[in-house]
Amino acid sequence: MTFSDDRPTMIEFKDVHKYYGDYHALRGINGTIKAGEFFSLLGPSGCGKTTLLRTIAGFEDISSGVVMIDGKDVAGVAANARPTNMVFQSYAIFPHMSVAENVGFGLRRDPRPKAEKAKAVAEALEMVGLKGYGARAAHALSGGQRQRVALARALILKPKVLLLDEPLSALDKKMREHMQVELIKLQRQVGITFILVTHDQEEALVMSDRIAVMFEGEIAQLADPETLYRRPNSKKVADFIGTMNFIPAEVLSEAGDKVEIDAKGLGRVTIDASMAPPAHGESPVVGLRPETLTLLYDDQKPLERETDGVIDEVIYFGDMTYYDVYLGGTDVEVRLSMRNVPGRPVLEVGTKVRVAWSPSALVLFR
Amino acid sequence: MKQGTGLGVYAILYLVFLYAPILILPVFALNDSQVVAFPLKGFTTRWFGEMWADANLRSALLRSLVIALSTSTIATVLGLFAARASVRYAFPGKPAAMGLIMLPMVLPDIVVAMALLIVLLSLSVPLSMLTIIMGHVLLCMPFAVAILTSAFQSLDKSLEEAALDLGETRAATFRLIILPLVMPGIIASFLICFTISIDEFVLANFLGSGKPVLSVYIFGQFRFPAKVPSMLALGTLLVLFSIILLGFAEYMRRRGIAKAGGKDSGGFL
Amino acid sequence: MAQTPSTEARAGLKLISPPALYAILMLAAPLATVLLYSVLTGEKGSVSLPLTLDNYHDLLTKPVYRALMWRSLIVSFFVTLATVILAYPIAYFVSFHVAPSRKALWLFLITIPFWTSYIIRVALWRTILGYDGIFDSVVMGLGITDTQPNILSNGVLSIIITLAHAYAPFAVLPIFVSLEKVDRSLLEAGQDLGESRWMTFLRVTLPLSLPGVIAAVLIVFIPTVGDYVTPELIGGGKTPMIANLMEVAMLKQRDQAMGSAIAVGAMTIVALISVAFVLWNKRYLGGRK
Repeated sequence: MTFSDDRPTMIEFKDVHKYYGDYHALRGINGTIKAGEFFSLLGPSGCGKTTLLRTIAGFEDISSGVVMIDGKDVAGVAANARPTNMVFQSYAIFPHMSVAENVGFGLRRDPRPKAEKAKAVAEALEMVGLKGYGARAAHALSGGQRQRVALARALILKPKVLLLDEPLSALDKKMREHMQVELIKLQRQVGITFILVTHDQEEALVMSDRIAVMFEGEIAQLADPETLYRRPNSKKVADFIGTMNFIPAEVLSEAGDKVEIDAKGLGRVTIDASMAPPAHGESPVVGLRPETLTLLYDDQKPLERETDGVIDEVIYFGDMTYYDVYLGGTDVEVRLSMRNVPGRPVLEVGTKVRVAWSPSALVLFR
Repeated sequence: MKQGTGLGVYAILYLVFLYAPILILPVFALNDSQVVAFPLKGFTTRWFGEMWADANLRSALLRSLVIALSTSTIATVLGLFAARASVRYAFPGKPAAMGLIMLPMVLPDIVVAMALLIVLLSLSVPLSMLTIIMGHVLLCMPFAVAILTSAFQSLDKSLEEAALDLGETRAATFRLIILPLVMPGIIASFLICFTISIDEFVLANFLGSGKPVLSVYIFGQFRFPAKVPSMLALGTLLVLFSIILLGFAEYMRRRGIAKAGGKDSGGFL
Repeated sequence: MAQTPSTEARAGLKLISPPALYAILMLAAPLATVLLYSVLTGEKGSVSLPLTLDNYHDLLTKPVYRALMWRSLIVSFFVTLATVILAYPIAYFVSFHVAPSRKALWLFLITIPFWTSYIIRVALWRTILGYDGIFDSVVMGLGITDTQPNILSNGVLSIIITLAHAYAPFAVLPIFVSLEKVDRSLLEAGQDLGESRWMTFLRVTLPLSLPGVIAAVLIVFIPTVGDYVTPELIGGGKTPMIANLMEVAMLKQRDQAMGSAIAVGAMTIVALISVAFVLWNKRYLGGRK
């Protein structure tokens, strides 16, 4: 992740609220999106991510608060006067127009001569890999091609911000992975701010410089992908991003930048205070990702700590195997993932195993 | 499947029953006899000639055309407003307003005719083609709304937003995006309203002045046996005309749905 | 563009107002007038106070009114029965035995006759059923009988035949729509569990298509109760129904109050029967869940 924090602010939210009748869709959104950043709004459906995107586009009024785009309060500025353009979830390709007419739609009021506009359309099409498609009828395109047209149509106006509303959700898995890479490349090429709405955590992790995770109209955590994955600030975020094991724990003492805890099945551990995000008043648990746990074979020595266990379930994935393991004679079960390498057979249910783990991978939620 | 063939035979018989009277029309319109009965007497086109020579019929036809054109235009325009409002916006009193607009579909025509007539008489409004148009618009509006609603429903809302997002005004968005995409629906609505108006008898009879429109004229002529064959000739032409109009309306409706990228969900009824 | 609920509501109201105003002026106001007139006293083209229920009293007690309302109901009942029973197999055939690509064509074929001149279709039945008409000449030509059956002389029967023909397509469509919604795997499940085709139909398909049948009943019943043209043209005015009665009271006797009461009576009959069917449908469907 090459994103640096010293870039100028492109979008700023100040205590943004949105009500639909009695329904409180946005509950005090604060945060900034930087110029040139690939930013994602991630969350389950109904969390307000699309509503927030549409307040930037100008399709939704906010009930209170301020939305600033490039230093200007955009209250009362209509969608057609904002320096943002949008790629819609349905792509919204005008079905009665050709590809070129679609891409050139926003240039209708542009005073440039026709030939120059046609050149701009051709360039935009080339940029998205649709060179020579201009004369085609829009309704005859495939899903991936429609998306490229939608991208070209939005980018031709050289917006300061490109808004993408679940742009990959209508594509099949292969195409989706391909387009993820293309979008990253495209964003680097044009260098403007991309704001992506998605419910797919993997997609957000792959593509974004920073991610805002949203639940129920609030931003739960705003961070870069690695922080989000390694140090989620709540159990809810941890649960939403990837897989995490939660183990009941007890806080024994807190001193300076160290917290000493007793995690069931793991025993006493001292962790760094940076791995203990602010308390939410819940009963304490420690979280650890499956890949931070390792099965020790034969005479392997643990790098840090080691705990005994019994395999309860084996889930074979080809390149990986997931094991559900009871820890240290307790009823605490954790899932761990092992890469399948030659010479290491897949173990069977009931096998007694040794599990290696590192205190630095633990996150404390309370 | 045996069960299927039995039903298939029934289906053919049913279609015969549906179409028998219509098929009889050209047979007796071309039969050289004033008595409408078998056996046929020979081929003639004189009933068509007699029909065409009837000046009263021609003026009745002209009145009907004027009424039908006005009705279908007004009903389609009003239908556009109602369909757009009902598909795109939420507002207080929407069910009541839409219910009232669609009500003529389930009211006996005679009740609509009599209610309007009472008011017109009490306000001393002279009966004329205008009063017929007023009534016909009321009857046709529900059909226009139904057809146009399905046209607007197959229109993706984000198409409008996309046009706005790309810098267009609301007015230009309507002209460049919405209108072209619902145009087939507008044409279908116009044609259906036209057909209903041309055909309508009850309101045309009670809300009109002494000068009959086509349906009222036909109704009157059927009382005279001597006039029946030439009315059958006229009926033949009317049926042909309706089928052409309907075929065209159905074609436009389907093209509209295909154009907007939607799925066909049945006929216009 | 900014869209708070209130601006959206305002835009919607603005759009709906032309057609809504039209319907209020041309329909709601006249219907209200009818309602008002029906409780006044009518005489020679005018109405006067005081408010009275005499018209309704007459409507419910005078033999002529009762007879005509009864006849309207009987005619509608048989027309509805005939159309729905005749329509069900057709709807079933198109839904279950016609290839999906050709369904639209079948529906189109079935609906075309509905859109061709109503007056001419009704008048045709008169020439078909009349003395020495087409029916008589065919039946006698085939030697089935040697006196003219002259069905037209039986007013009620010829009205029923004519209306049943006129509203046939109306009944097919709603039944077809409800049959299309029947989940085909339910039928396979039924047969998989050892039911015969016929039992599967009775126990699965028929109950599931009942809402369509009820819609068909309403769609045929409502306009036939108030039909004016057929009794006038077929019955030659000798077999009037409620619509013709309304016309006579309004225009010939110039008793607008009585005419209005008849109109309200007709609307009430339609409304009561519709509500009864809708409620029955709801209860039936609710009971199954």
